[in-house]
Amino acid sequence: MSLVGLEFAFFFPLVFLAHWLGPRRAAWQNAVLLLASVVFYATWNLGLLGVLAAATAVSFGAGLALDVLGTPAPEAAPTTPGRRRRKAVLVAAIVAELGLLGVFKYSGFFAESFNALLVGLGLPDALPVLRLVLPLGISYTTLIQVGYLLEVYWGRAPACRDPLAYAIFVGFFPQLIAGPIVRARVMLPQYLVPRRLTSAGAASGAGAFLLGFVMKAFVADWLSPRVVDPVFADPASFGAVALWIALLGYATQLFCDFAGYSLMAIGTGRLFGLELPENFRYPFLSKSLAEFWRRWHISLNTWLFDYLFAPLTTGRSWFRGRAGAGFLVVFLVSGLWHGATWTYVLWGLAHGVALAGHHAYDEWYKRNCRRDRRWVAWRKATPYALASWFVTQVFFVLTLVPFRAPSIGAAADFAKGLLGLGGAEGLGQRFGLQAGACVLFFAGYHLLEVGAGPAWKGRFLALPAPVRGVVYGLVLAFLLVYVPVGASTFIYAQF
Amino acid sequence: MTRAEKRQMLIDWLDDHYHFGEAESKIGSDDTSFLDKGILDSLGFVALVVYLEDTFKITIDRRSLNRENFNSVNQILAFIEARAGVVR
Repeated sequence: MSLVGLEFAFFFPLVFLAHWLGPRRAAWQNAVLLLASVVFYATWNLGLLGVLAAATAVSFGAGLALDVLGTPAPEAAPTTPGRRRRKAVLVAAIVAELGLLGVFKYSGFFAESFNALLVGLGLPDALPVLRLVLPLGISYTTLIQVGYLLEVYWGRAPACRDPLAYAIFVGFFPQLIAGPIVRARVMLPQYLVPRRLTSAGAASGAGAFLLGFVMKAFVADWLSPRVVDPVFADPASFGAVALWIALLGYATQLFCDFAGYSLMAIGTGRLFGLELPENFRYPFLSKSLAEFWRRWHISLNTWLFDYLFAPLTTGRSWFRGRAGAGFLVVFLVSGLWHGATWTYVLWGLAHGVALAGHHAYDEWYKRNCRRDRRWVAWRKATPYALASWFVTQVFFVLTLVPFRAPSIGAAADFAKGLLGLGGAEGLGQRFGLQAGACVLFFAGYHLLEVGAGPAWKGRFLALPAPVRGVVYGLVLAFLLVYVPVGASTFIYAQF
Repeated sequence: MTRAEKRQMLIDWLDDHYHFGEAESKIGSDDTSFLDKGILDSLGFVALVVYLEDTFKITIDRRSLNRENFNSVNQILAFIEARAGVVR
């Protein structure tokens, strides 16, 4: 089942009614959501439900053990047996969680890469290559649980003592497919109290869901088969114009697919009285890569920042104060997290190097600012902002070539074609009115955040509910006419 | 070192690294939220932690390594003073 599938249109009202018509108690609401999540998961793969259940049981138990073993001592305090035991519990639980992810997601990749190395040295294959089905959402649920364990270990969040609340914190069905990667301090307190459905919460949830649905079903799913897939399937045949259009189309598709999914998950959460974290904040307005990653897949990037980058660059190791090296590590991890292929490693490496390069440039620029205040004025000028925006966006879009390409070779073909060194085929008549509508929607969505945009948005949201209802109804009618039922799955579900 | 001297060092660091002579005017009040006013982004926060540890000889443990604990001039000064004297 998917949030855009027809089954969900029948599944959701049943869960909604059971959730709100039953007793207004947290235990009832959590039980309904857990049962719904189990059903949701089982429609993908019933057999692998046990993997998620086992992982959840391990992290829940480890959280309790950390709690029983006492509060964390300051890091400067002498090592005690209690402290050593807490660390042992943390390490064991994290190894178990990451080990499970490693077996399902990375064992094939590492075995293949190792075998290729042996073959390159003239030796025979040594490792069997496992082709395992990836449990739904395992990349997301693993990070949720590792984050929880670290928060409890560091004493930033209390251990959860309610297994029902904890299970739904890890496996709430809207976030199962592709996040957002929720945090214990934000979500667990919500699951421990009864939720109330307000008209404002319901309207905001329905609005977010509808907007996400339009992004996914109208924009992303239209662009994919017409503009993106044919070109990426055979980049060597297409000319530069077609390749650039396909690449820009893919950037739009990826954003609308993933941000659309996130909005649908957030909207569904609100309809159950829960506030999931924001995942996208107009990334295509960013004027630097660092800003881009603060606006794109926010829940993953803040996770990587809080649990990898910050401890690494503020700890006592060689990485202390070395932001550039920290970027390289974080984005190599991010690349591997997205998928166990060399194309994702290349993508992560490109972003790590670019962020490290930009950081070095920024430090150089700041030294100039200290010497001469004209540099400060230049940085604030519109041409500098426009150039920064342009370079940032072009770089991000170009790195989507390895991100989307099936192999390094295909990525190289695509890159050559972008420079006019490929084929000559054009996109022909794949364009129509809807292509224009997609571009307008994408641009309009971002422009509503600049200049007078927020004021216009505020005016719309302040309109009487019946007027907004008519608008939402018209959008729904439009979708029913123009969008085929049963949209595709989400891109980020594969990660 | 007095509180006023520590405060000046913090403002000087913000000026040197992010605001180039405008830190005082941008911050306005010592209770202004750095997050809300965009005084310091997440990378700046990490750099600030290293600066505070190295300059004031304090340890910021993982429990406290949280942007909400360093969100205003007053919060940062209170943190430094609470940690002063704690041996690394």
